[in-house]
Amino acid sequence: MSDVVVEITGLKKSFGELEVLKGIDVRVDRGDVVCVIGPSGSGKSTLLRCVNLLEEPSGGKIVVHGVELTDPDVDIDRARTKIGMVFQSFNLFSHLNVLANLTVAQRKVLKRSEQEAQEIALRNLERVGLSDKVNAMPAQLSGGQQQRVAIARALSMDPDVMLFDEPTSALDPELVGDVLGVMRQLADEGMTMLVVTHEMQFAREVADRVLFMDGGYVVEEGPAEQVIGAPRHERTQSFLARVLDPTHQGPRGA
Amino acid sequence: MALSKRQRAHAIRAGQYGLLVVVVAALVLTADWEQVRKAFFNTEIAAAMFPNVITVALKNTILYTALGFAFGLALGLVLALMRLSSVAPYRWIAIVYIEVFRGVPALLVFIAIYYGVPIAFQIQFDPLSTVMLALGGVGAAYMAETIRAGIQAVPKGQIEAARSLGMSSARATVTIVIPQAFRIILPPLTNELILLTKDSSLIYILGLFREQYELTKFGRETLSRSPSLTPILIAGLCYLIITLPLGHLSRYLEKRTGGKKISTPESTGLGVSA
Repeated sequence: MSDVVVEITGLKKSFGELEVLKGIDVRVDRGDVVCVIGPSGSGKSTLLRCVNLLEEPSGGKIVVHGVELTDPDVDIDRARTKIGMVFQSFNLFSHLNVLANLTVAQRKVLKRSEQEAQEIALRNLERVGLSDKVNAMPAQLSGGQQQRVAIARALSMDPDVMLFDEPTSALDPELVGDVLGVMRQLADEGMTMLVVTHEMQFAREVADRVLFMDGGYVVEEGPAEQVIGAPRHERTQSFLARVLDPTHQGPRGA
Repeated sequence: MALSKRQRAHAIRAGQYGLLVVVVAALVLTADWEQVRKAFFNTEIAAAMFPNVITVALKNTILYTALGFAFGLALGLVLALMRLSSVAPYRWIAIVYIEVFRGVPALLVFIAIYYGVPIAFQIQFDPLSTVMLALGGVGAAYMAETIRAGIQAVPKGQIEAARSLGMSSARATVTIVIPQAFRIILPPLTNELILLTKDSSLIYILGLFREQYELTKFGRETLSRSPSLTPILIAGLCYLIITLPLGHLSRYLEKRTGGKKISTPESTGLGVSA
């Protein structure tokens, strides 16, 4: 079971003069959970957003499930239906209730019947433990609940891979666990996942591989135990020291 | 004796109230109420205006306004989307349209469509089509700017979420952005509707049959046959029958949408008044 789901080669991205990604190579196999860690501004979110072309790469190649997204003639809308995305700020459609949030793209994009879309939506709401919120409006939900609905919305499209862009960073601390729990369960079910996160404990326990990014490069890559547990690179060490113990005065200062 | 800041504020406010009372009292005492009553409150003339002021004039004002608003809203939406398009010529067309139709008096647009178009194209619009095109055409220029502001107020994350689910740009706009934009701009749109209600009076320039009269024309026509200004008062009250509920609705919607107001500098006036 090692067919490639996401293959990124030589990915570059510039915003004007600023080069954010300076040549990234990432490969995610089916069923893999890959966590991307690194300081803010290291380009990890940009990397994730490039994988479904929310950001247009400046160079390099991205292939998802055999479809080259960087081909100018690619049907990007079609390709995106196979790539689930979860945002830091949830981005639930604020004018639609929970059920409609989960069915609207199924109906309009995948052309599923109302009944089929609702069945799939209810199944996925149950997966994230929110069956009782079918008719709620997003504004009536807590941040953690909104994020779980957002995950269920992405899952309802039956994606090949799920991208998580700092999914718990906007949450109150006591709500983080619910969302991480759902993600852990997804990982156990064999979902292919690429996760940008600051949750080191989660990365350590769930990730098959961890990427440490800094300054637009992947500095260190390997099994979670190694990258987080025993980092080889000096920059990884100082980053982890600062994250795991915020009062620690590392070589680069706090 | 120095006053504290709070005492000074109180004194100033008391002064303002006092001034207001004096002004109102002066107006009430100096007005010739008997003349006012004769001029504006002639019950015989008022009674003679019914039922036509309702069944013809009020009905027509509502009809003309509704036609203009419907056409203006549709055209305004198209213009707003063109204004935000990535295709440069669309943007230019929208900008030129908005600048022109917001810049000329609505009265001139009525004249151009009713008298100008037949000369150029041998097409004669009837008054109903004219009021729809002219009122809607001018209203569209204002509403386009309001709708554009509403679309831009929809958080970018909503579009990204829609696109990440595989929606095309057009699909995301129709399904996600526009419904949210309209929620945001309902209060200012209600305002546009009130302005259009009053501008519907400009149809008088077309020369109307009696059954086509709206409130202002009806009031002026009655006025010309009576020794009293009462018809103007009645017509004015009829406008309030339409606009007061709309104003109430606007405030209610504003409260419901959490007071999020989109104000465009352009949404404050509409053409000339007759």
